[in-house]
Amino acid sequence: MLEVRKLCKAFGGLKVTRGVTFALEPGERRVILGPNGAGKTTLFNQLVGTLTPSSGDILVEGRSVMGLSVAARARAGLSRSYQKNNLFEDLSVRENLMLAAAAGQGKAHSVWRDSFRDAAVRETVAEVAQQVALTEMLDMPVRSASYGSRRQLEVGLALATRPRILLMDEPTSGVGPTMIEGFHRLLHSLPRELTVLIIEHDMDLAFDVADRITVLNFGEVVFEGTPDETRGNKVVRDIYLGDWQADA
Amino acid sequence: MFRQTPARSLVLIVTLAGLAAYASAGGFFAREIVIEIAILAILAISLDVVAGFGGMVSLAHGAMMGLSAYTYAIFSVKLGWPPLPSALLGVAASGIFGTLIGWITGRTTGIFFIMATLAFGQMAYTVFFKWRWLGGDDGLGGLSRFDLGGLGIKMGNSLTFALFALVLVLAVYVAAAWVLRTAFGRTLTGIHVNEDRMRALGVNTVMHRAQALGFSALLAGVAGVLAAQHVQYISPELLVWTVSGEVLIVVILGGLGTLIGPLLGAVIFVLLKHEISGYTNHWHIVIGLLLIATVLAGGRGIYGQVEHWFSRRPPPPAGTAEAHDA
Repeated sequence: MLEVRKLCKAFGGLKVTRGVTFALEPGERRVILGPNGAGKTTLFNQLVGTLTPSSGDILVEGRSVMGLSVAARARAGLSRSYQKNNLFEDLSVRENLMLAAAAGQGKAHSVWRDSFRDAAVRETVAEVAQQVALTEMLDMPVRSASYGSRRQLEVGLALATRPRILLMDEPTSGVGPTMIEGFHRLLHSLPRELTVLIIEHDMDLAFDVADRITVLNFGEVVFEGTPDETRGNKVVRDIYLGDWQADA
Repeated sequence: MFRQTPARSLVLIVTLAGLAAYASAGGFFAREIVIEIAILAILAISLDVVAGFGGMVSLAHGAMMGLSAYTYAIFSVKLGWPPLPSALLGVAASGIFGTLIGWITGRTTGIFFIMATLAFGQMAYTVFFKWRWLGGDDGLGGLSRFDLGGLGIKMGNSLTFALFALVLVLAVYVAAAWVLRTAFGRTLTGIHVNEDRMRALGVNTVMHRAQALGFSALLAGVAGVLAAQHVQYISPELLVWTVSGEVLIVVILGGLGTLIGPLLGAVIFVLLKHEISGYTNHWHIVIGLLLIATVLAGGRGIYGQVEHWFSRRPPPPAGTAEAHDA
């Protein structure tokens, strides 16, 4: 579904992505773990096209997307949520989701029809709002919504385009335990055919939802395996858990 | 997001009716003022579509208007085409010019976009200024108005032409309001608010912005044909960048991003200009002071400010909301 081959990215002498290779099966839930500065977000930015790799290849369903723009990759089914909220601040929650749903359905350009009155767009918005628990807040301006709600909307925007591959960059960063729990439920409720790649710091979430886990350190894949294999792995313990404990 | 509120519709109707009454009751001079207002209002509405809803502050709108006027002149005077197809070609030429500017400047925003539009506008100005076949800096005369004699309408009559100009203002407003309420307008607002995210959602924002500027230029083209038919003479002065600057002042004065504000801005601007120039040549000072006051008050513009006051009333207690909202 999504394949990354020998991806490299260097800023001058600083190599931030070093020969990263992995492949996601359709419907797979993959979590990328790694300490701060491991190059997780940089990898994401290359996948969605905001950053051009120095070398390597990215394939969606067997086809290279290297020549495609950010928007074209999104239309190919690649959708992302951001680590830092990147929302339509001046608009309401509903308007945010409407824009995303309309774009996802290819209804963003008509000069005859109003996408906000489109039945299919409205239906998607209602479904996604339910999924990310924002149904009660649809008419609230985003700027007056709480941080937690905005976090949910961040994921909601990515979901509303109805992607085939969902990339989530630390979806639970900065939210409390209740919301993390809600997020576990959300991930389990997603359609099984949706391929999901999540960058996460939260180990519990990784072990709970992942089919496989990829561990990144200094821009390199240092481990890949099932959650059980990850738990018992010495390298992962040293790099990731060691660092994690030191942080705490 | 654009909303055509009942208050805006009311202001639109009252303003246009007021101008029509003024033109009917007043003499030739009143009609000249109404036409001047109409041309400026069309340009201001056109600019508000991209500046207010797309974040694209353009200084090429004068050039778009002028290009349309010149194209009209080329086809109707130089090539002897009838006025209507010539006018449509004028509007189309402006639309193409706008789309091209939008496409080329697609990745620039803010001050760089403003400078790029200024450069394109001045290039167009220079072309017509030097082009002897079209009269160069002397301009070109002998343009004709639409011939609606078959309908019993005499366009040569100053009142008829003033009313015709007001009909065009209405048509342009309706077209702009319509487009802003379609998927196209929604996406344009989305790009204005967060272009980066809109791109991540799969929208080709460069093309969308180019099309928006093209649409805006079509409307500016209508002002061009109107201006050309009004004085039946055109000169490169139509295209000069200060025309665009004046339109921008009108938009900000009336209320950026309100669509109806620019119409009010045009009325106030032209009336003040004529009133004050009866006393002093320095009418720019008064407009300048008014503009400064508007900007310092929060930059909402005259209509935006009034709307803000009304929306700031304390919300009614829960349960009675519907009764008060009416």
